[in-house]
Amino acid sequence: MIRTVKPKNARSKRALAKKEAKLVENTKSALFVPGSTSNKLLHDAMCDLMALKKPHCKKFSKKNEIRPFEEAAELEFFSEKNDTSLMVFSSNNKKRPNNLTFARFFNHKVYDMVELSIQADDCKLLQDFKKLTFTIGLKPMFVFNGPAFDHHPAFQHIKSLFMDFYRGDETDLQDVAGLQHIIALSTGEIEDPNSTTLPMLHFRVYKLKTYRSNQKVPRVEIDEIGPRFDFKIGRRISPAPEVEKDALSKPKELEARVKKNVNTDFMGDKIGRIHVGNQDLGKLQTRKMKGLKAKYDQVEVDNDDEEFVSADEEPQPKRQKN
Amino acid sequence: MSDKEYKPVTVDKPIPNSFDLGNLATFDPNPLDNSKLKDSAQRNNYLTEVTRDNVQLLINQILSLPVKTTTDNHESSSTGQNSTMTLIQLPDPLAPLPREKAIPKARAMTKWEKFAAKKGIKSKAKDGKMVYDEETGEWVPKWGYKGKNKDLDNQWLVEVEDKVKNTENELIDPRTLHRQERKRLVKKNELQHKRNLKNGA
Repeated sequence: MIRTVKPKNARSKRALAKKEAKLVENTKSALFVPGSTSNKLLHDAMCDLMALKKPHCKKFSKKNEIRPFEEAAELEFFSEKNDTSLMVFSSNNKKRPNNLTFARFFNHKVYDMVELSIQADDCKLLQDFKKLTFTIGLKPMFVFNGPAFDHHPAFQHIKSLFMDFYRGDETDLQDVAGLQHIIALSTGEIEDPNSTTLPMLHFRVYKLKTYRSNQKVPRVEIDEIGPRFDFKIGRRISPAPEVEKDALSKPKELEARVKKNVNTDFMGDKIGRIHVGNQDLGKLQTRKMKGLKAKYDQVEVDNDDEEFVSADEEPQPKRQKN
Repeated sequence: MSDKEYKPVTVDKPIPNSFDLGNLATFDPNPLDNSKLKDSAQRNNYLTEVTRDNVQLLINQILSLPVKTTTDNHESSSTGQNSTMTLIQLPDPLAPLPREKAIPKARAMTKWEKFAAKKGIKSKAKDGKMVYDEETGEWVPKWGYKGKNKDLDNQWLVEVEDKVKNTENELIDPRTLHRQERKRLVKKNELQHKRNLKNGA
């Protein structure tokens, strides 16, 4: 836990308020941390992954000696300090060459982690492609090819991870001109369901081109703009069930309220039913006349002598007219 | 132009795709050909082909969503032109993605608030910090700098209160006693505030 002090001025107060838990959350930002064994390829790969994530990203330049699967406390510290809930950590060793660890955090604690090892033979960086790039900050489209993304837990994890990583701002309105690049993740068939080796994960990024088709929707063509990675899936940590439940819960306050007594008829007209309450004819305001005033009401009085009403007497209960 | 020049915009899939249009995503459950994926010569073309088909399906779906057109007025700018934007109304995202932080909890009730709720005590309407000082005919703050609660402090003659009489405080300056009482209340309130914060956490 990082020690927090009571903010002393408005600026630091705002900065702390930005970090607080919110009903509608900020776009998740990512932190790129090079490990002590990181190399040139991993550095370039991280730069390219970051280019896709801009502007919600941050990169460390110094190497850090951390082993995320053994001791993640330092990563959790980074997550809290930088207020990031996504992290990519790079490491390279003989057993797991060119390794990127993708970690997600919930409440600044590790939520899940997966190791993806870049296969160096078919890896093409952004700079190796023709200069066709994407605009910063646009929402990408996602394509997931392969049935494994629907049923295999490791691939479900990867699907959730990449969608979380790159989906950008949550919005309900999308500009047509903003549909520009596509992130495609593909995997082959799982040949032997019992073996632990999983098929490769192919990460590709394309740019959308549309052509006239004489119909309402255009003909779509795509150009690869990079980066291009083939990943081998390594170790994996899945979230604890109770943490997962907390993380996936939706705030009740944001649920749309069901509007009662309002419906639409077959003509498309909105029809509402309202309650008018009980009608009390006794309280009906009729024509105002002096003679109808309450004080002239004829009621049985015990003794006729005390007819006057003094000022300090308590007001008599309202009598029914007529 | 003849129809032949146009390439088709429809794609046939043995198993239809599923979509998450709120996240602009499509999921293709049709298995890929492992032999093509393993062959480095064919792999990229094959992936591009499959992805193109899926993007076509995704774009077809996205463009069939309801459209909202907005017009931005730029009359103040030098061009004086209006720009229209076509925005697609996306449905709510379907994929369950974890939150960054837990849902914020409502602030816990203070001890007084609990008591007031139990007794049905409504808070008074706020009537501001200033009160009218009848003697000087001016509006002065109730507390704080030149506050009304410090009236006693600079009077040349102060009556000894009845409850102080015949106690050890009788000989102490009543102004000091008054000031001590004020300071005590401030301390007490701070203590209560701290206790409420501790109980709420």
